[in-house]
Amino acid sequence: MNISKLARLGVAGLLLSTTGLAAQDLDTMSVAELLPLAEAEGTVTVYSFTSRIGKVEAAFEEAYPNIDLQGFDISSTEQIARLTAEAQAGVTNADVVYVSDAAVVLSALLEPGIIGPYVPPRVADRVPAEFQSPLLAQRLSTKVLMYNEEANPDGAPVDSLWDLTREEWSGRVVMVDPLQRGDYLDLMTEIVLQSDSMAAAYEVEFGSAIELGDAANAGEKFIMDLFANDVILVGSTDDVNAAVGGLGQENPPIGFTSYSDRRDNEEEGWALQVANDVAPAPGIIFPAVLALSAEPNSPAAARLVIDFLMGDETETGGPGLAPFYVAGDYLTRSDIAPHPDAVALDDFTAWRVAPASTAEIRAEIGDLILTLQ
Amino acid sequence: MVDVPMRAHGRRVFFQQGTVLKLVVVLILLLLIVFPLIRTVVFTFQPDTIGAWGDVLQGRLSKNLFYKPLGNTLLIGAIVSTGCVLLGGFLAWLVVMTNVPFRRTIGVMATLPFMIPSFAAALAWGTLFRNDRVGGQIGWIQGLGFDVPDWLAWGIVPTLIVLTLHYFSLAFTIIAAALATVNSDLVEAAQIAGAKGRRILMGIILPVTTPALVAAGSLCFAGAVSNFATPALLGLPVRMQTLSTRLFGMIEVGQVGRGYVIGILLVIISGAFLWAGNRFISGRRSYATITGKGGHAKRFDLRAARWPLFCVAMVFLLASTVVPTIVLFASSFAPSSANLFSGWTTHYWIGTSNPSFAQGIPGILYNADITRALVVTLALGVCVAFLGMMIGLLVSYTTARYRDGWLSAAITQFSFLPLLVPGIAFGAAYIAYLGAPIGPFPALYGTFALLVIAGTAYLLPFSVQTGRAVIQQVSGELEESARITGAGFLRRLASITVPLAIRGLSAGGILIFVKIIRDLSLVVLLFTPTMPVMSVLAYRYASEGFAQFANAITVVILVISIVATLLASRLQAKSQPWLKD
Repeated sequence: MNISKLARLGVAGLLLSTTGLAAQDLDTMSVAELLPLAEAEGTVTVYSFTSRIGKVEAAFEEAYPNIDLQGFDISSTEQIARLTAEAQAGVTNADVVYVSDAAVVLSALLEPGIIGPYVPPRVADRVPAEFQSPLLAQRLSTKVLMYNEEANPDGAPVDSLWDLTREEWSGRVVMVDPLQRGDYLDLMTEIVLQSDSMAAAYEVEFGSAIELGDAANAGEKFIMDLFANDVILVGSTDDVNAAVGGLGQENPPIGFTSYSDRRDNEEEGWALQVANDVAPAPGIIFPAVLALSAEPNSPAAARLVIDFLMGDETETGGPGLAPFYVAGDYLTRSDIAPHPDAVALDDFTAWRVAPASTAEIRAEIGDLILTLQ
Repeated sequence: MVDVPMRAHGRRVFFQQGTVLKLVVVLILLLLIVFPLIRTVVFTFQPDTIGAWGDVLQGRLSKNLFYKPLGNTLLIGAIVSTGCVLLGGFLAWLVVMTNVPFRRTIGVMATLPFMIPSFAAALAWGTLFRNDRVGGQIGWIQGLGFDVPDWLAWGIVPTLIVLTLHYFSLAFTIIAAALATVNSDLVEAAQIAGAKGRRILMGIILPVTTPALVAAGSLCFAGAVSNFATPALLGLPVRMQTLSTRLFGMIEVGQVGRGYVIGILLVIISGAFLWAGNRFISGRRSYATITGKGGHAKRFDLRAARWPLFCVAMVFLLASTVVPTIVLFASSFAPSSANLFSGWTTHYWIGTSNPSFAQGIPGILYNADITRALVVTLALGVCVAFLGMMIGLLVSYTTARYRDGWLSAAITQFSFLPLLVPGIAFGAAYIAYLGAPIGPFPALYGTFALLVIAGTAYLLPFSVQTGRAVIQQVSGELEESARITGAGFLRRLASITVPLAIRGLSAGGILIFVKIIRDLSLVVLLFTPTMPVMSVLAYRYASEGFAQFANAITVVILVISIVATLLASRLQAKSQPWLKD
């Protein structure tokens, strides 16, 4: 090793440490300090797994007229594939990543350093620690059993998930193909992880202990029976919503979708309602996380977007949270009161997804579903 | 071979005529087509992905992962290609050889379906025939009170119909071009000898056009088996899988290894079919039919069958062009598909952002994403068409003039490879190939160049096929005489081959332009938000439930395609001999 090589190493080290410092500086900056830097950057790109990014974009640009937010609606599964490819190419397109499917995000994006965490200092003391690490969760989202409340004014037409395997629901249970959307694969995985309660619910429903047959456990048995009962697979949650929720149906199907899609009932002509009382649980509840890309093109504006998405100091979080302050989304900000029309989080019986254990058997459940199709 | 003079010219001993040209073409094809595919194959043999081969081919997963989708895929390929050759051949015969009324109209309309993206046709089918199997929204026909059975609403039957009505115009284009160049000398000779219509058809026309029929059949087969959007939209609700939907599903959930294995198997299987077709064509003797002389034969008189046959043709043409267009257009205004023709709103076209309407998405006129996508898409279409035509000409010229030798065989095989690769797999292969820096070259991921290169490579079979059909018919004797008078390769290309082949090349260029601007499967993975294209935006809107925006964008794609085609046919009005009287 000669002197010039040492010098180059030194310079490289120096550069690395300054960028490190700069990022740390940005992490601790207030909104007022970030704003001039963000305005100098001009634009910021957001990958979002929800179409509500359209509303966020309008609200953000109204709040910060000198910054152009470019929001893109990309499913979580696709974001993971895309961000991985972009990282391989050494290209950074997204500044902010707003994504669910935490089981895969943690191992595929956070661990290899494709994305990184950021918690706006302004709200850090008002978000419980469990939602700050490893990534900041903005809200909890759901994939749960929903029914048509117009056709069923007295409540859900089923009282157990096992009802869905009965003859009368043959060809009338709708969901998105779990092999196409990760959230639904997570749902199926959780049902298997909860095999004990599935077995108990079976006994309550049918009055006899479950006979597993070819299945390894009660969860797998349920999935096999559900598919044997001609479950309908569609391409997107909105297809489920339209099928289940559409007004004027005499005998509507039932299906797994996002509780928060109930917010669009009036606009879309749906009558979606959550079947919260089905045994053992209506589905899953999982975090929607916010992260920075590893080397954002607009580091200050990116942080500003995340700050904006965490809501302002008003009672319901202001314009940044408005698209998410709806029944069926559970915001992680502890100082914002839960939405009055929703089932309270404590009463909401959906299973809380544990990313680590989901990641463990997720591929196996995917294979099981593959054999059933 | 005269050895002595060649020795005098040194290098000629080593380079047979055309070898340099062949090597250049092979290199281009290697870079464009073969290396990305090899990269994909190599990927599946990595230690952590090699298990995918076992999963796909044997074991408990293989039945659903591979064998059932394979059965559906082959069924679709066989029926759609047969249907396309029959329908396309029938229409081509009507337009070129008979005195059916409104020949020009039929001729123009028969080329239109290919401009309608197959996903749009599938969406239009759903808008019309959707029944309540998946509850909720019903289609227009069920909305009128008719009961649509499941087999007509979903699955294999609608997939076959939509794909046949989509790909037949490809068969028509190829067969019509071949029929138009049937040498009148042959037909007239037969007529003088007293042969009747049937005899002329079976004895002259069919044998001369057999290469075109085989080419049309194999292209339709390849297109049908790799089509993704139609089986996905119409088959998924009844869990009908083809190899391409299976491949897409696997890549979507990150099981890239299995996806690539399925893709490779699809390539191998349809490769066998195409190889057989190619072998059939190459094994024949030369079928040069445009010579330095000759005119056009008398038309076959249909007599009383003129109008009935016209009506039969129009049923298919209306079903494949006008109906889907009207449905798409109407549903870009209609708030729901059951009420296609009432309560229209122009929001999806000219509305400004309104938070309570469609998640605040402004109408497509005020939508910056869509404007940018329009610019990118048009530029992409022009670049790919131009580049594709140039390479296509080079390839088809080389294989037509220097047909012998393993290099020519390799060129033919290579240039047809992309046909066998589902667009989505080709896109994935290109990400694997150019998605990371290669030596001093930077990664092309997310760049316009990547879209252009991948698009050119992907559509090369079409430019080559069109160029080839024409170039092979430009009789070698013309070029031969030019060479004798001392014209060099480029001179011969510019003064003889290009002018005579310009019809085929322009047709190829338009075909490519239209194909790339309405392509979905290839660009859906190459798409990055900063480099958006129209079809992907349309698909995204459709899959997010904003069918009206999707349909509005599709209408824009449609209009551009039609304008492009009309413009081109105006520019080359003289070179559509099948429309001449």
